[in-house]
Amino acid sequence: MPSLVDGASSSKKRKSVKNATAPSSKRRAVAETDGPDAMDDLLRLEEQISESRKHYNNIATLISKLGADEDPNLAVAVSLCRVFSRLIASGSMTEASHSAENEKIVVAWLRERCREYQRSLAGIIRKGDASSQITALTLAMRLLNERATHLHGEDIQVWISGFFKNIVEAVVEAKDGQALRAEFVEKFAKQYEDVRYYTFTQISEYASSERDEETLDSIISIISAIDTVPEPQHKFETFYSKASKANKKVLSYNAHKKAAQDAWLAVLRGNISQSQRKSLLRIMAHTIEPWFSRPELLMDFLTDSYNFGGATSLLALSGLFYLIQEKNLDYPQFYQRLYSLLDADLLHSKHRSRFFRLMNTFLASTHLPAALIASFIKRLARLALNAPPTAIVVIVPFIYNLFKNHPTCTFMIHRETRDPAHKATLEAEGMDDPFDPAEQDPLLTGAVDSSLWEIHSLQHHYHPNVAAIARILAEQFTKQWYNIEDFLDYTYQGMMVGELGTEERSFKRVPVVEYQIPKRIFTDRLLQEDGGLDTAQGSFMRGLWDFA
Amino acid sequence: MPPSQLKQLKSSLRDSGVVAPQKSKKQKRENAKSGAGGQERIRRNAALEAIRDRFNPFEIKTTASRSKFDVTTRDGGSKSADKNHRPGVTKSLGEVRRRETLLREMNRKNKVGGVIDRRIGENDPTMTPEERAAERFARESERRLRKESMFNLEEDDDDEEFQLTHKGQSLSFEDGVNLEDYNDKDADLDEEDSDSELPHKRKRVFEDEDDMGGAADGEDEEEEELPERKKSKHEVMKEVIAKSKFHKLERQQAKEDDDDLREELDKELPDLFGMLRGVKPPPKPEPPKDDMGAMNPERAAWIEGGPGKDTEKEYDQRLRQMTFEQRSKPTDRTKTEEEKIEEEAQRLKKLEEDRLRRMRGEESSEDEESAKEDASDVDDMGDSDNESVFDDAKAFGFQMSADQTTSRPELAVEDEDDFIIDDDLVETRSDVDLSLDGSDDEASFVEDSEGEEEDAQEDEHINGLTIPEGESAATADGVQIAADGLAYTYPCPRDHEEFLNIIKNVAVEDLPTVVQRIRALHHPRLASANKSKLGRFSAILVEHVAYMANQPEHPPFAVLENILRHVHSLAKSHPEEVSQAFRRHLRQMSAERPLNPLPGDLVILTGVSVIFPTSDHFHAIATPAHLTLARYLGQSTVNSLAEISTGTYAASLFLQYQEISKRYMPEFINYVLNALCHLCPKEPTTSLGAFPTRSPEVSLRLRATKSIAPRTLQFWDMSGPAAGAEEELKLSLITTLVKLLDTASDLWSDKSAFTEIFTPAHAVLTHLVKTWPAKLSKATVQATLTKVSTHLSQAHLHRRPLELHHHKPLAIKSAIPKFEESFNPDKHYDPNRERAELNKVKAEYKREKKGAMRELRKDANFVAREQLREKKERDSEYERKYKRLVAEVQNEEGREANAYEREKRLRKGQR
Repeated sequence: MPSLVDGASSSKKRKSVKNATAPSSKRRAVAETDGPDAMDDLLRLEEQISESRKHYNNIATLISKLGADEDPNLAVAVSLCRVFSRLIASGSMTEASHSAENEKIVVAWLRERCREYQRSLAGIIRKGDASSQITALTLAMRLLNERATHLHGEDIQVWISGFFKNIVEAVVEAKDGQALRAEFVEKFAKQYEDVRYYTFTQISEYASSERDEETLDSIISIISAIDTVPEPQHKFETFYSKASKANKKVLSYNAHKKAAQDAWLAVLRGNISQSQRKSLLRIMAHTIEPWFSRPELLMDFLTDSYNFGGATSLLALSGLFYLIQEKNLDYPQFYQRLYSLLDADLLHSKHRSRFFRLMNTFLASTHLPAALIASFIKRLARLALNAPPTAIVVIVPFIYNLFKNHPTCTFMIHRETRDPAHKATLEAEGMDDPFDPAEQDPLLTGAVDSSLWEIHSLQHHYHPNVAAIARILAEQFTKQWYNIEDFLDYTYQGMMVGELGTEERSFKRVPVVEYQIPKRIFTDRLLQEDGGLDTAQGSFMRGLWDFA
Repeated sequence: MPPSQLKQLKSSLRDSGVVAPQKSKKQKRENAKSGAGGQERIRRNAALEAIRDRFNPFEIKTTASRSKFDVTTRDGGSKSADKNHRPGVTKSLGEVRRRETLLREMNRKNKVGGVIDRRIGENDPTMTPEERAAERFARESERRLRKESMFNLEEDDDDEEFQLTHKGQSLSFEDGVNLEDYNDKDADLDEEDSDSELPHKRKRVFEDEDDMGGAADGEDEEEEELPERKKSKHEVMKEVIAKSKFHKLERQQAKEDDDDLREELDKELPDLFGMLRGVKPPPKPEPPKDDMGAMNPERAAWIEGGPGKDTEKEYDQRLRQMTFEQRSKPTDRTKTEEEKIEEEAQRLKKLEEDRLRRMRGEESSEDEESAKEDASDVDDMGDSDNESVFDDAKAFGFQMSADQTTSRPELAVEDEDDFIIDDDLVETRSDVDLSLDGSDDEASFVEDSEGEEEDAQEDEHINGLTIPEGESAATADGVQIAADGLAYTYPCPRDHEEFLNIIKNVAVEDLPTVVQRIRALHHPRLASANKSKLGRFSAILVEHVAYMANQPEHPPFAVLENILRHVHSLAKSHPEEVSQAFRRHLRQMSAERPLNPLPGDLVILTGVSVIFPTSDHFHAIATPAHLTLARYLGQSTVNSLAEISTGTYAASLFLQYQEISKRYMPEFINYVLNALCHLCPKEPTTSLGAFPTRSPEVSLRLRATKSIAPRTLQFWDMSGPAAGAEEELKLSLITTLVKLLDTASDLWSDKSAFTEIFTPAHAVLTHLVKTWPAKLSKATVQATLTKVSTHLSQAHLHRRPLELHHHKPLAIKSAIPKFEESFNPDKHYDPNRERAELNKVKAEYKREKKGAMRELRKDANFVAREQLREKKERDSEYERKYKRLVAEVQNEEGREANAYEREKRLRKGQR
């Protein structure tokens, strides 16, 4: 056993050397200058402890040598770990009922020292620099393993309420602990199923009390990194501590899921900030939801997010829709809310394509009332008037598909006035748009009685391709439907590249050159020839701008 | 009970008249005389044959099932339905054929040695004699052609060529005798072979066997009358190849001849020029040696020989000279001024119409063909729709970088811009070039159209003094410095660095002169290479305009304008290069700085508005330029007055672009309204419209404390306002933006969604008026507000419900069954051509396979039978031999036994 510990810890040491940042390497160098003596000293002390119990006082010496949490002597920590591991393995820390009084005193004393050591390890994890944090974590986990394996009655207790709780808390609260947390997740939580299980349990407990934003951030980063959801038939076999096999809970699929679900719920219930909410919504679908055996528990969170408005609502949409569809969630205001999401900034936001994909699903049903669909169409058309070409390109085929599914709405593009009286009033007074843009309820906007003048105007868009797309609504509806996906991901840059190509190519047809000779471009050249009145090409610019 | 066979036979013989009562001698004689006897015999034979058939029921096989439902078909069912097969005949025929082929093969098996006939097709029974002859002929001609490659020295002349000969005589068709011989021989062969050879390809014969039946007897005779067999594909291809090779050779020959001729003509070209000029080049006092070297050798010889030497030649030349001398030709009538103006007006009108057509996105008449091609391309795409995944977006031209659908340039390129490059000048230059006068002073011919005659004279003077060495060095260097510091000759630069190098010492104001001189010096009429040189130069100029505008010292706009006008003028003759240069610049812009354009970029974009028709529906430069502007307006930040100035410039440029075509740009209205919202003195409390807002980092609101007047914006306002002049700039920006709105409302007043577009604008303007500082004049804003209001009420008046779908209603898909007029159940009416083809091939394969298997089985039977027969023969032979031997032995033994007996008896008798 000692040799094994030695090998492992020495490899750890090598790693820590590698990871060491500038200050730590300096410290190491200092340690090495007085190295041989100090190391010898340490080894000697360690030897003595294993030789005889009368040297147990060396433990206290070693602990005193450990140094402050911020700048610990790692060699001492390692050798202490070895010492305690040996003691635990040899049973020197279990107190037998029949043992003598002084024996009991010794055991109690040892336990006290061990606790002290654990405390300082947690302290190092919290406050040390990156490399010592990681080393301390490794040592702590090793010690934990020894305790769980050899100490009677501690196999579960050490995980639930004992040492592991401290470790998890320390890891979460550690300052500058990105590397540490990554190490914890990669080396332990993701690798060993028992560690994962107990991590979730600890975190759900930890997060249920009020925590500040930074802590929540680190919690989220830890549990979102653990994204390997087990299969229902999964056999749980990879355990960190051998003792875990005896625990029924760790072997159960449901218990695992429940632990994760509780942890997530605890996090979601906390007072998360706006940006955290957004990032959580973003990972909702593929990281969080798989852990939930009862996704309806997310209901509150999602409805809250949806009511938030803006981008948050956008992100909550998909989850909410899933719940409505599958879990029978009743959200009566859904379409009204969706309608209210169509605001001026939507078409300019980066979530545009995501939103359109979802809206494509939401409005796919042919059973929706025509008035509602018409409101969406009209609203989209209105927005298209102020939209970039990349958005118009999506909107028009989208509207086309809606028209195809809801032929009642096609009155919006073709409405003949048959009533002569009505016609006469039209001739005399013109008309107002029956559509009420301020109305919140899409069923009451009166959009069905309106016309899509907006799209008609977009047929004169400056970009020929966009104009061509806008024209499809005026053509016969022969195509079954347009695949929206093909139109979604255009950008200005993409369109530029589409127009200009990436490299020079010769023209199929040489571009036309303006036949009118520019008399003047910037200046008033030869102006008197025209009688002082500038009517030549480009006079508009010269009128507004002074080129000097 | 039917009568017995014998009785039946008798009665049938009697019925058919084979056995007739004896005729009298008289009757016989009469018959012989009229020839009825022969007829009678034929008839009798036929009748006998029929009777024989009837009485042998195994000779004829009828099809097992009767043909059904004759009524359903038009041509009376299948063709073989009424015919009886004769299995016996067929079988024996097959047997005979096998004996001829298979048996022969069998006998020859495992035999070594002998004489092999390697004549083509001699041993192939599937070839007709005609085929064989054709094959041989093809082989021969092929060999001849192969040998006759261009570089084959040995086989050059026809005499030595390899040929098929017969008794030393050629077999080719070169002379009539041989041809006849060949034919005779062929015919002979035909007759000889027709007995021994199989007339058809085996397969065909066996296929026909079943229904041919008795007709097989007459087959051989028919065979001879058959027209010449169709050539196989292989042969045809060979012939085609042979022919094409021959033609190629011919073409090469012709080309060579042409080349020779052309060379000859080229040699005479200088003479021709001399004659055209009408004046002999002045004989040089001392023609230098190198001149002679550089000269055409013929000419050199002539000069050296002197004119008196070959008088005839000279006479010829003079004569030619006279024939080529220019005579006055009747020209077109000189047009009057009015007519000229009229013509010009017509031309302009046509150009304008073209422009409008392009604006509407229609193809011009010349382009219809290519449009059709495009359409077919689109059709192709539509076809592929069925199989592959088809991108809907692509149908609208997204990501179609290659598709530059623009119309052709006008071909007649005239240099109408004010840079007149003197025709005389060009002509003289070309003369000089041709007159072998190497030491001519180029610069003396470069005159400036802007009237620098005195300079030019002076220059000539200078040249007169300085030639030759110094100047040649200077020209080699490319730059020649004149008195005013400007050179007269400049090399045509190949890239921008070179150009910068050239104009290093030139003042900015003189740049137009330099450009003009370069253009004059490299006029395309002077040398053929000049066109490409100028093309490159025009691209450099585009680059240089942007470069100049980016310089911190702000070159005068007069110069920029002049160069842009040069670019326009060059664009007419070099549209490709100039367009590429613009596209290159735009590409670079979009890749490197889409949201913070340099002044140079804006100058280039301004240049686009005058050099290219920005009203076109699609234009290879104008469309990307629009996109560039839109991108800037749509995505740029509005953090400083400088940025807003740039944006305002871009917005005004956009309106300039759309002056004629009046298209709508959402980004423009968004930008203008947003900028106004952030410049106006007070922040609007409610949202004024659906345009997205972008807020500046610091407030840019107008805070007018004292009365200031708006000014016209300056181009260089883009680099930010001068200290203390911020408020003035803000006010000017507001005024300009309002003016832009004003113009835009005019441009788009007929858009059906004018109300929707300008309601927010109206709100913004109202807000502006409301919050306008009291000290400032609000005339512009107020005027625009009134105008927009008027337009809005107009739009309200003109608004009607949309009626976009006045299309002919779509026909409902017809489901009436399609009747075939002349239906034939044997034919397959598969609408899918490919599938039908496939089925046909499959059926053929099946039939062939069946036939082949049957043949193979029969072959195997035949082989087995033959082997058995052979074995039996061998066995009986052996048996005979054995018996003979046994008999022989017994014979001998018997004799011996008798002898023994005899001896024994003798001995007994003795005893």
